Amino acid sequence: MDYDNAARDTINAFAPSVSWEELLWLLPHEILGATIVFAMLAIAVRRHFFVTTVITTLGLIAAALAASMQFSHLVQGAPSALVTPLFLIDAFAVFFVIVLCLGALALAILGFGYFARLDDAREEFQLLLLLATLGAVTLASSAHFVSVVIGLEMLSMALYGMIAYPIHSKVGAEHSLEAAFKYLVLSAVASATMLFGMALIYSQTGALEVVGSANSMLGYASPLALVGVMLVFVGIAFKLSLFPFHLWTPDVYEGAPLPSVALLATLGKVAVGAFFLRFLIHSHLLLNESVTLVLALLAVASILAGNVLALRQTNLKRLLAYSSIAHMGYWVVALLSGVGLGSQNMAASAAAFYLLTYAALSLGAFACLSIASSSESEAGVLSDYRGLFWRSPWLALALSVMMFGLAGIPLTAGFIAKFQVFFAAVESSQWGLLAALVLGSAIGLFYYLRVIYQMLQPAGEEGRTLRDLGLESVGSVITITLVVLFVLWAGILPEPLLVLIAALFG
Amino acid sequence: MSLIPLEHGIALAGLLFAIGLVGVMTRRNIVFVLMSLEIMLNSAGLAFVVAGAHHASAEGQVMFLMILTLAAAEVAVGLGLIIQLYRRFKTTDIEVLSALKG
Repeated sequence: MDYDNAARDTINAFAPSVSWEELLWLLPHEILGATIVFAMLAIAVRRHFFVTTVITTLGLIAAALAASMQFSHLVQGAPSALVTPLFLIDAFAVFFVIVLCLGALALAILGFGYFARLDDAREEFQLLLLLATLGAVTLASSAHFVSVVIGLEMLSMALYGMIAYPIHSKVGAEHSLEAAFKYLVLSAVASATMLFGMALIYSQTGALEVVGSANSMLGYASPLALVGVMLVFVGIAFKLSLFPFHLWTPDVYEGAPLPSVALLATLGKVAVGAFFLRFLIHSHLLLNESVTLVLALLAVASILAGNVLALRQTNLKRLLAYSSIAHMGYWVVALLSGVGLGSQNMAASAAAFYLLTYAALSLGAFACLSIASSSESEAGVLSDYRGLFWRSPWLALALSVMMFGLAGIPLTAGFIAKFQVFFAAVESSQWGLLAALVLGSAIGLFYYLRVIYQMLQPAGEEGRTLRDLGLESVGSVITITLVVLFVLWAGILPEPLLVLIAALFG
Repeated sequence: MSLIPLEHGIALAGLLFAIGLVGVMTRRNIVFVLMSLEIMLNSAGLAFVVAGAHHASAEGQVMFLMILTLAAAEVAVGLGLIIQLYRRFKTTDIEVLSALKG
């Protein structure tokens, strides 16, 4: 009897509350969804890679513009909106929606150049890219475990397809099937673990909301709920490739085509990171000592393992994979410096800034790699870049800026981001984590500079010729230039960006 | 209506989850790996249903429907990849997929 009432309550909570005004808050999501359908129909009418790419980019630009309009409203003091129990549209969510849409825009343009000569259907890549973006955007604005699961799975499902994309190609891409299998199995295990954790939390608190009071720290007091939280962390640690759950990362990075890896490394990590940040802010979980201990261990292990294992790599894609493990470790240090506690503002802005910077830097690095490669022949091995400064100075310069940024050298955004994390950790007296951060950065310097050293070597006979830049690469060149300019701008004049990000947590 | 205690349901779900996890880790045939994944996902679903019954709320069942959809989609993609694997290697053993190492 009370069961029926409960069911009716749930239905009432969902159904009549969606008004036109609320639908307007979801405009970026709707634009993305409509673009997917439109692009699919366009492909059905006539296959044309350029037209599909144009539709994709226009849709992403429209979504980013809609989100920017919402952002300016929200920053000027418009109240944030809970659209159904599933989405919380506030300045934080909308900021990440903009970042994700712009990242996807860059990836669509890069993917066009990369796949231009693929000997198979090419149009669906943009379709999968849009789908992944919709998933990422859903995840970043979610306020409820249901929307978290929908977003995460939309992102992962699209990624399975994108990793295995050149599977029918006669030339090249021999390992994409293996990479796709590894990612599918391990990602599904992570999803199942996360879902089981959510079920345990729900069994104790009776609430599926991520935001709001129901699932605050008090609800997590029971041991079973804490086990649930840990299982959710396992799922998140997998998606962010933190240390004991990082095993898939190098293999998938190596085997997958470059634009897909770039998506995995940028959109995938930003979206999951944004959700994790929001989860920690609203649940105040860092007040719990066992939670902090587990996260601290994950962070230190990721920083050390990522940096040490990166030293031995001769493949640039694997090197960037290990570097991403280390960077996510640094990011967790920022979280541990007090997200959800009294000094939350500084730690949370440091974490958000770090996420943005890391996404830009790895996007730039993968963009440089992908402009040098094509789906037929990937330039992945470090020796392919030998003497790049003499063969293609412009590209070498761009890749150097990205390497300097990832190493955290001044005048790049990477330095400001790492400095922010460092400062937040000092402020909250996390001395052990600071030691790991400094040690990791010192080791990191070595292998990032080795890449630049390789590029400065005289070009040998064995140096492989990189892809000739044709008309299809014009967009990629512009994209790389913009990313380089952003990295330098955020490294030299970070004030406006820092003020903007601090306002997200105001 | 006498309900099954929450702990019993959660324990059963936990057991299923463990069985699924062991299956994923030890099985060499990719079809069985996918089946083990299904067990893991459904154990999470079972835990949601049990918890939903405990709180007399429909949310647990809503979540179960979500998981069901998700598992179906996951397996659809997985089976598609298995067909590709079989076409290329004439086997469903995952040992053939070990070219990437590090």
